[in-house]
Formats: sequence, structure tokens, C-alpha cells
Amino acid sequence: MDPLHVSLAHPLRSFRLELELDVGRGTLALVGPSGAGKTSVLRAIAGLLRPERGRIAADGEVWLDTAAGIFVRPERRSVGLVFQEYALFPHMTVAENVAYAGRERADELLELLGIAGLGDARPGELSGGERQRVALARALVREPAVLLLDEPLAALDAHTRARVRAELEDLLGRLRLPTLLVTHDFQDAAALAERVGVVVEGRIVQTGSPAELVASPASPFVADFTGGNLLRGTARPTASGLTEVTLADGSRIFSTDLLEGHVGAVVYPWEVAVARQAPTDSAQNHVTGPIAGLVPVANRVRIRIGPLTAEITAASVERLGLRPGEPVVASFKATGTRLVPLA
Amino acid sequence: MRRAFELGLAVATGLALAFLLLPMLALFLRISPAELLDALTSEVALDALWVSLKTGLIAHAFVLLVGTPAAYFLATKRFRGRGVLVTLVELPLVLPPAVAGIALLALFGRRGLLGETLDAFGIQIPLTQAAVVLAVVFVAAPFYIRQAIASFEGVDPALIDASRTLGASPARTFRRVALPLASSGLGAGSALAWARGTGEFGATIMFAGSLQGVTQTMPLAIYAQLDLDPDVAIAIGALLVLVSLTVLLAVKLLPSWTRFTSASLIRSAPSGSS
Amino acid sequence: MRRLGWLFAAALIVASCGGGDAPSDEPEALTVFAAASLTEVFQELAPNVTFNFAGSDELATQIREGASADVYAAAGPRYPEELAAQGFLEAPQVFATNRLVVVVPADNPAGIESVDDLAADGVRVVIGAEGVPVGDYTRSVLETTGAEDVLDNVVSNEEDVKGVAGKVVSGDADAGFVYITDATAAGDDLRAIELPAQPLIEYPIGIVTASENYHAAEGFVELVLGEEGRQALRAAGFGLP
Repeated sequence: MDPLHVSLAHPLRSFRLELELDVGRGTLALVGPSGAGKTSVLRAIAGLLRPERGRIAADGEVWLDTAAGIFVRPERRSVGLVFQEYALFPHMTVAENVAYAGRERADELLELLGIAGLGDARPGELSGGERQRVALARALVREPAVLLLDEPLAALDAHTRARVRAELEDLLGRLRLPTLLVTHDFQDAAALAERVGVVVEGRIVQTGSPAELVASPASPFVADFTGGNLLRGTARPTASGLTEVTLADGSRIFSTDLLEGHVGAVVYPWEVAVARQAPTDSAQNHVTGPIAGLVPVANRVRIRIGPLTAEITAASVERLGLRPGEPVVASFKATGTRLVPLA
Repeated sequence: MRRAFELGLAVATGLALAFLLLPMLALFLRISPAELLDALTSEVALDALWVSLKTGLIAHAFVLLVGTPAAYFLATKRFRGRGVLVTLVELPLVLPPAVAGIALLALFGRRGLLGETLDAFGIQIPLTQAAVVLAVVFVAAPFYIRQAIASFEGVDPALIDASRTLGASPARTFRRVALPLASSGLGAGSALAWARGTGEFGATIMFAGSLQGVTQTMPLAIYAQLDLDPDVAIAIGALLVLVSLTVLLAVKLLPSWTRFTSASLIRSAPSGSS
Repeated sequence: MRRLGWLFAAALIVASCGGGDAPSDEPEALTVFAAASLTEVFQELAPNVTFNFAGSDELATQIREGASADVYAAAGPRYPEELAAQGFLEAPQVFATNRLVVVVPADNPAGIESVDDLAADGVRVVIGAEGVPVGDYTRSVLETTGAEDVLDNVVSNEEDVKGVAGKVVSGDADAGFVYITDATAAGDDLRAIELPAQPLIEYPIGIVTASENYHAAEGFVELVLGEEGRQALRAAGFGLP
């Protein structure tokens, strides 16, 4: 049996939350738009929310079973919950915060999280990254059976995020606890979790590894969420075995996926090549147009051409001498063009 | 036209301050300091001070001990009829003191609802020091409870949740998180309730009567002495002002650690260190 | 347009302040300050008069502080004499006498039959405060009859005689010292017990010198001293000089 099992049904404001998931010794990221119910799942596991129906069991213990009338109070559940804004006790020092659940491992965790020197500081004096570490240390003091993280990087500014994300990835790797992580950012999910569950309006629409989600998004939302370009059009099969998709502007592209009717063609930016002239390879789809924008991101550049965003190396941009307004051709393979059904 | 408005504001402020401060100042200036001191050390004044302090402290302890958990319950539990319950608790706030007095008599008087039963056990409450305590509790408690409810409501629910997920029972959460974070508001409510209780007159005189050294609190002593020895009345009045001032200052000067903003979110500058 | 509004408001405020001081030709309502024990008898005697009933000492203070009273009737000579000496009252005349009695609730829960019973353990007695005529009379009687230990059983000193009566009527006090006229006024709610000795209780009445209603004030005093007044007082239980 997996260390953490959750199945629940509960009415939320405008829809019903209904899902089931299992988490083993590793991290599952719950992603989705805000308001989809992800935080409610965490609260239900922690015992802060009492679902209408459901069963939650962890580490061999049943925490919730509405059918059997079982509800274990939050303080008796072996959970570590890190809140979105960390919820550090402002009237206590860092050391007192961390030791709140128990003195024994407090010092050990201060060391582990690298905040041993901050013991006497108050939460108000700390930076965002430091606060996150205090929240983690505090949650881990009780050696919880399950670790729950609610948007752990959301409260950080962009500069700190990347660094903290790496540190968190390292920590989770070392802890090997069943961890459920909620985030609205796919990049964070991909970095921190082995598996990702996409939650939309209370239901899981797809589960899989980050790579699987990128490779075969089950819906336009997943495609968009994982960072893909979405081109809308109408698909019909052709004699050659490829599917022809007619886009809104009349141009046509091809895909190896077999689908008919209203579709979204998904192309990831890093799979789009940019050149001054169309390559002669017939297996390629082409979109021609002027460069609408050039945005450097680390050592890559995101180029907007018509409805597409391409991402190529800064070196390539230099070599090609690309400037805004110049006409270029964006190319991508038919095999790399995934089709998802549109409503 | 704008300067006229500013001037108007200043005049209004001056009038308000004058009206509030001058009568209190008059208490200290009306008779000579020697007469004031003499009157203050009179037996009547000292007895009144003693009665007020003793009954006030007992009543206040009761208000805090019972009112604090009650306020926490009303602040944190959501149930049908909660709004009505809160309004009922606040009702004595707007009740005229005479009504409070007669209400207490209707309950505890010898022919009152509970009074008959109590009388059978030999317990009589009206016209005793206990009656003073009850009257003070009745009029002062709503002031405290109202403020306490607001203070507890101001504690970030995320902090309460966090405490629970860290293994703390609701009782421990109350003691270690809610109470400390609400404490400055509770202190303010406490000061308000103390002031109201110390100044209680109407309910006390009806329910507890007036006997020097037993039930004659400072306000009652002022009333009794007004026609007998006005100097003593003035002196007790001055004493009351001093007592109230002391309480007010004590609350304002509460150590700053009790005055936390209860929100857990305190955005600091973007990370620079560590 | 706005300036007119301010002017209008200012004018209103000034007008409402000034109104009270202007002399008028119309006779104003008569205001009589009287001891609390005169409540029932005076109200029946002159229903159209504005009365202020309270302890005689409190009324004297108010008159001294400038309250607008026309006539003052007290339950003892002390305060009228003081006010007259200070020029606040015209020469007072005695218009009635009274008797002090002990009253107990109708059911007499403490079983009081005489003044001596009042000194027993646990008896709750209510009397008038020092300075209030009925309080001074009570203390004087207790001293005269050597029953001062009754004072140990006092649970409240009231500021007027009606306060004393009220607490005995409600049963919260076992006994109280009031005037016979108050016992009469309370009817069946109180039982009166006669005292072995009586202080001299004389009620003086006088016209307040600052009165602006001299004619009507005179009329009231004449009413009280006249046949109609005497009959009413006798019926209420007062003695007549």
C-alpha cells in the first residue's frame, strides 16, 4: 500500500472537488489554476477541512473514513504542512517556532535547513527564503509521515526563487517522505516532483511525469500550462496518413497525431527552429512572419513570430543577427506537433 | 475658504479638549492642595477607595477569567445563532444603569427569580459587597467581551491552523498562539471594562445599597458626601480621575511584544542576506 | 449660498442660548423642592405644580448652587435655617410634624416586634444616610433609647426616605426607619412598629429668595398652611403644629 492515499469528494464554491490520488516515497505535485481546489486537498489531508465524503490514510493509519465515521483531529495526524505565507508565529523567535512541535529535533533541523544562526531572530526580521526554511524546519520537527507544501515558492521574489527551488529539490531528495506539493507553476513542479497531477475545477485531468505531460498533454489547459504554444484549427485526415490542420488564418500545418474536428496543435518553444529562409525538408511545418518581440531569458531568447513563441539560444540569435521586425520562418516537425481536442 | 475650514477644525478641537479637560482640572484646583490631601486621607475617602479597589479587582478577575474563553468561543466558532448570541452579550452595554440595577434585583432580590431559592439556603445577595461585585461584572463585562471578540477575530486563522498541524490541541493553541497575539486588544478591552466598572453607580446603589466600608464605592461616596462635606466629594472625584489615568497609562505602556500585528505575513525587503 | 447656510445655523444657536434669560409676561410653572416624605401628600394637594422630591440635604445643596426653585419644604429645621441664614430662603414656617417608625415587610421575615429585635444577629436594617433628616432622626432616636448597637446591623445608608422604604417593601431589608407618613403611603406592603421615644420632627416651608414667581409661591405656601393643606396632611398621617 502506498504511504499516502487520498480519495475525497467535497462541494466547493462553484464546483465539486472529487479526486483520488496515491503518493509513495516521493513528491507528487498538484498543479492547476488558482481556485481549482488544490489547497483544499492539502487542508483535507491535514485535517483542517472535513470533506463530505472520503478516505485518507497515511503510513498505515486511517485519518479519515466518512463511511466508518472516522475523523482524526489535526493535532493527531502526523503531517507537516508548510503554508503559502509560511504562517510563522510572529511573537516567537525562530528557535521557538521550530521547537513548537517538539524540542528534540529542533537543533538538528535548524542545522539541516542551514538556519542554525538565526535562532534568536524573529520572523519579521527574516528574508523570504529564510522564512521558508524556518517553515520547513518547523514542519519537519515531528518527523511527519506526510509532507504538504502549499505554493512553497510563491511568496518569493524571482531572484530568490531559483536558488530556493534548487535547495528544496535537494532537501526533498534527501528526506524521501511522501510529499504533496501544490503549485501553479509548471517549472517548479517539474523541478521538484517526480509526478504531476493537473487539477482543473476539482478534478484531476491528467497525471504523469513532467515529461509525459509535455509530450502528451491531455487537454489544451495542460498544454498551455506546461508552456506549449497552442494553435487552434480544424483537423482532417489526409491520404498520406498525416493529419492536416487548417489554422484560423488559413495556413496549414501537419501532425502525426490522428484527430478530427476542432483541435489545438501544441508546439513547444524549444522545438521551434528559426531561420531566415524556409528549410527544404518537407516534414516541417512553417510559419512565416516578422519578429514581433525578442525576450532574453537566462542564456536563451524567446522570439515571438505571429502566434508562435520560439526559444533558441542567444548564440543563435547573435549568429543570425535577428532584429525585431525582420521576416523569419519558424519551423517545427509534424512529429513534434501534438493535437489535443478542443471543446 | 480652505483656511476657514482648517480654522474651524482647530476651533472644534479646542472646544472639545477644553470641555473634556477643564472639569477634570477643576477637581484639582477647586480646593487648596492642603484641603485636598486632608479630605483624601479622611476615613470616608479611604474606605471608599478600599471598597472600590477590592470589589473592582474581584469583579475584574471574574470578567477576565470567564470573559476571555467566552470571547474566544464566540470569535472562532461559527454556528447558527452566533450573531444573536453576540448581540445579547453586548446588550448590557446600552442598558441604562438603573435598568441594570432593577434587573439584578429581579433576579437576585429576596422575591426575585433566584432570590427565593438562595434565601432558603440562607444566602442573601442584595445589599452586600457581593452585590457590588455582581453589579460591576454585569455592566463591565460586555465592554471587555466585545473588545476580546474583535481581538481574537484579528488573529490570522492561518496561525491557528499552523498550530494545530504542529500537534497542538485547541487548548494549547489558545494558550500559546491566540492569547499572546490578541493580548494588546485584550488589554485595551480590560482597561475599558475596568473604567466602566469603577465608575458604576446606578446599578450599585439600587442593588447593593450604600454602606461605608462595605458597599460604598467611590462614586457612591461622592454622592453621599456631596451635601455633607463637599471637600471630600471633590477629593474622591480627584482620586477617581487619578486611578483612571493610571490604568490608561498602564495599558498604553504595555511592553511592545504584546502588540504584534497578528498577521503572519510581514513582507520584508527582497532577500539580500544569507 | 453656502455662506447663508452657516449664518442661519449660527443664528439658530445664538437664539436658542439667549431665550432663557428674557423676562416674559406669562406666569411660569411653579417649582417646589420638597422632602421625599412629602411626595404623596403634596402631589395630591397640588397636581399642577412641578415638584422635585429628594433628601432635604440634597435639595438644599441644589438651591445653594442656584437651582430654579420657588418654594422649599424640608423634613427638619436644620437646612432651612442654614439657607435662611445664608440669604437663600425667606423666614421658614413650620407646617407639619411627623413621627419616626420602624417598618418591616408585610410578611415580616425576620420576626421583628420591637426595636430591640433589630439588634439581633443577621438582621438587615436600612436607614437614612447621615445628613439626610430621616437618617439624623434615626441616629438620634437610637442614641436616646440606648439602642446604638442596631447601627451594627445597618446594611445601607439611603439618600432619601423613599429609598429606605423601597428596600423594605422589596424584602431585601428586614427593617427600616421611615416616617409614619411613608408607612401609611405604602399601605399593606409595610407594617409599622412604634418607637419608645420620638425626636421632635418639624417640617418648615419657605419661599426661595431667588424665586421669580413670588406670587404663585406665596399662594402655594398659603395653600399648605391653610385648611385644605392641613386636612390633606392630617389624612396622610402628619401631625399639625
